[in-house]
Amino acid sequence: MEFYAEEGKKLDEACSTLVLPALSVGNVGQLAVDLLISSLRAERIGYFDDPNVLPCVGNNAYAPSPPGDLSLPLEAFDSSSNRLTLVQQRSPVVKGMMVEFAKNLANVAARNGKKHVIVLSSLDFKQWQNIDMSSGLQIYYLSSSSTDGTDEDCEKHGWKRLPEYNPAHKRWEYLSSTIEENIVQDDDLLFEDLKEEDYYPSLPFAALFSCFKAKGLKVTCLLCYCSEGDNIPDAFQLAEAASKILIQSPNDFEGTGSGRWIVPFSWKSVYGPPPDTSLF
Amino acid sequence: MEDVITDIPPPSRFFLEDLNIFTPPSPPLPSPFLLFSISNNGKPFRPSLLVVAISFPSLHFFHHVSSKKRIGTLILPEIPFSGNSVEPSLRDKSCDIYAINNADESIVVVSVQYPVTAERSHAVAKLLIGEQINPERVLILESVQSRNFRGKLSRDDSFAFKLETSLERSSKNSPLITGLDYLPSGSMVDGLAAALLVQCQLRKIRGSLCLSWPEFGFSSNSLIKNMLLKVLPGIELASNSNDEDSFLRIAREKDYLDSELYT
Repeated sequence: MEFYAEEGKKLDEACSTLVLPALSVGNVGQLAVDLLISSLRAERIGYFDDPNVLPCVGNNAYAPSPPGDLSLPLEAFDSSSNRLTLVQQRSPVVKGMMVEFAKNLANVAARNGKKHVIVLSSLDFKQWQNIDMSSGLQIYYLSSSSTDGTDEDCEKHGWKRLPEYNPAHKRWEYLSSTIEENIVQDDDLLFEDLKEEDYYPSLPFAALFSCFKAKGLKVTCLLCYCSEGDNIPDAFQLAEAASKILIQSPNDFEGTGSGRWIVPFSWKSVYGPPPDTSLF
Repeated sequence: MEDVITDIPPPSRFFLEDLNIFTPPSPPLPSPFLLFSISNNGKPFRPSLLVVAISFPSLHFFHHVSSKKRIGTLILPEIPFSGNSVEPSLRDKSCDIYAINNADESIVVVSVQYPVTAERSHAVAKLLIGEQINPERVLILESVQSRNFRGKLSRDDSFAFKLETSLERSSKNSPLITGLDYLPSGSMVDGLAAALLVQCQLRKIRGSLCLSWPEFGFSSNSLIKNMLLKVLPGIELASNSNDEDSFLRIAREKDYLDSELYT
């Protein structure tokens, strides 16, 4: 993975917190990062080029101006006042290469002085085992602060440790040993059908969590359950949760109008054109 | 009407196996490579303009340029040559490289006549830009991808959009493509065209991507032809370049055979 800096910019070690999405149902992590970048008015500092990320390109995702400003698959933004680097990922990872991609990203983060990584992602409602409707729109977390995944600061915000996290589970153990010890892949395990308990360690957030943890960085995964559909409300929920631990400079975080969030310009067409009413 | 149950999800959504990190990767393929029929003494070729034709209207245009000379080809090992003809044909599965001398410009044209998968696009783009070919400017010609476009598309309308690298947009010299709007925000391009423009942006090369619609149609063919005659004034086209019947016959073949119904 190579980093290409914008003119006069660099990966700043002073921005010691890194925020990034993990691909997931409803693209909620990516939408949440879009909201954070837009609302923090974070400045693009450069691009990552990785052969494991499929190519894509588009027009300016955040504002109508400057017109024609390119959006690339992996971009890095800084919010210096909040000491944050945000990485946005716009396209999928090549099938079977997620762990490799996560290792590359973890290497770059560790080399450039990142201390805390926040991974934003979502979980499929269909997999929710212990439905607790009283908890409303609950945010779940997984932290590298302790072996069982708990973290006091996260608990104070009312977030729940992901109950299905079991570091002794064979797939979590396999993931850790693959990354830390670089062992050869176990074909029997890879070709085994996924059981219900295999769902969580099989997700992209698990690869990122394990890779950053292996590099000695503090990792916090923030997760919410959702179904595929209009996932913008889920993105707001996740970004709101993330802002509680990310925003150090509230003055820089003011939207226009009634809310403090600035909706990215590209969201106007996120679900395609309106239906053709000429039929009626 | 689309079947929401069985239709392929839009590109921003995932199949379950896309999100499974334990899905084994596909078997590795041999790397693509360039073969040149002329030598440059081991140095990269430095054309003033590199044109990569991917869309059918652009392939049709350059197929009929009479002043071009074939200088090489790009080999993707997984693409079979069977069925290709000795003389260049629009029906060939090939990726031939041509040199055109036009006024004071040295132009290299790459005619991409086989599908390059998204997974291979990064490797092919790096091969075409920055290694054995180091262009001053790049023009990529592709069609609007209906799966990635967030506006309304009708086959009765023909239009084109553009995307440009920062250097192309900020350059004081005249832009390569004029009279086109930028692709609206929210719509995307993927595949080889995207990979090429990304490499241009990363390597700070003046790059332009022109996206035309419809993919196969005489109207988009005229639109691209008129645009390219402005970009390359003085270029000579063969006398049969306006052969509508031949164009429509080949366009229909490609539209039928390349349809997603048969993937």
